[in-house]
Amino acid sequence: MNSHDLLLVHTGTVIEEGSLTLGQLCRACGAHAEWIICLVEESIIEPQGDEIRSWRFSGASLVRARSALRLQRDLGINLAGIALVLDLLEELDNLRAQTR
Amino acid sequence: MQYKDYYKIMDLARDASQDEVKRAYRKLARKYHPDVSKEKDAEAKFKELGEAYEVLKDPEKRAAYDQLGANWKAGQDFRPPPNWDEGFEFKGGGFTSDGASADYSDFFEQLFGQAGFHFDDKHQQGFHARGQDSHAKIYIDLEDSFHGATRNVTLSAPKMDAEGHVQVKHRTLNIKIPKGIKPGQHIRLTGQGDPGVGKGQAGDLILEIVFNSHPLYRCSESDIMLDLPVTPWEAALGAKVKVPTPEGSVDLKIPPNSKQGRKLRLKGRGLPASVAGDFLVVLQIVLPQADTEQAKAAYRTMKDQLDFNPRRFLGV
Repeated sequence: MNSHDLLLVHTGTVIEEGSLTLGQLCRACGAHAEWIICLVEESIIEPQGDEIRSWRFSGASLVRARSALRLQRDLGINLAGIALVLDLLEELDNLRAQTR
Repeated sequence: MQYKDYYKIMDLARDASQDEVKRAYRKLARKYHPDVSKEKDAEAKFKELGEAYEVLKDPEKRAAYDQLGANWKAGQDFRPPPNWDEGFEFKGGGFTSDGASADYSDFFEQLFGQAGFHFDDKHQQGFHARGQDSHAKIYIDLEDSFHGATRNVTLSAPKMDAEGHVQVKHRTLNIKIPKGIKPGQHIRLTGQGDPGVGKGQAGDLILEIVFNSHPLYRCSESDIMLDLPVTPWEAALGAKVKVPTPEGSVDLKIPPNSKQGRKLRLKGRGLPASVAGDFLVVLQIVLPQADTEQAKAAYRTMKDQLDFNPRRFLGV
């Protein structure tokens, strides 16, 4: 690393609620569109918009889609199971946050 | 290089059947999966487990590993005997599971890593692809979001060197934290992800914002919450008290007859945003100790003067 890197400040763009297109979400997860569509059909992630072309995903969808990918790859869970796991984990997180 | 006892990692006897190996993996994977587990070193444990399973699930690799002998202890300094893998035929090269290959230990690399896992750039002539987006979490304080800040984040990513060895490379980036960013939101840094193949563009770096836990405040979306201790008389009679907020202290009016847990909302004093969040004060009534004569007398006066039975609704 040189001193130039230390001084350089990177300004990114915030991924706003409901701003990711299907293509961007696929790229961000490294997954195929077909697989993302399966997640939507299982209502693991819920885009805004009716048609696939107008689908917009939130940052939270990105987190869930990536978790889903890992759960499927590492534990061999099917989509229905992943949906259940993610919902239960979210509930657990909420409960933990309340009792903290 | 340290010897790794894959059987010990998976809590298996050396004569475990392949079915037992699989069952042990499933069980431990559920326990240590970083998405599921709250154990502190889950991620490291899960990686270790993945490596152990990669070897033990594959009868060829397992046989080669077993051949090293059972006398090694985990952590012991280890050099593979010369030609240790003579006569073993590895069908699929070193790695069988794609993508997960980069993070295995030196021990694994030494034994199973060299065979068949050289990236040969010549094969990729004329092939261009956009690099993958990479992901990282960035931990910030609530104040960083409140005021905006610059934080540096150190990213480590496995990189392949010219000879095809995997090394972990670190780099530090200074990142501007936009004012009002919420926990769980993402920042995209274009072109800071994995480099592209050939002339392909680099991918993006996507940073997930995580808030460090704060001694006073909790955050939920754009709202900030504070547990505020109050005296019984402040809650009962009403009062004006000073309350800390990230912007400095403010005067808060507690309405008379406030109950334990009552939430008071200071509109627009949460995280700044186009629609700013609120600051929520949760009243926590604290009883003074009855450790002096005066205090005891005061409690006795209340007992005599108030007709109060909080257990009335229990019917006793």
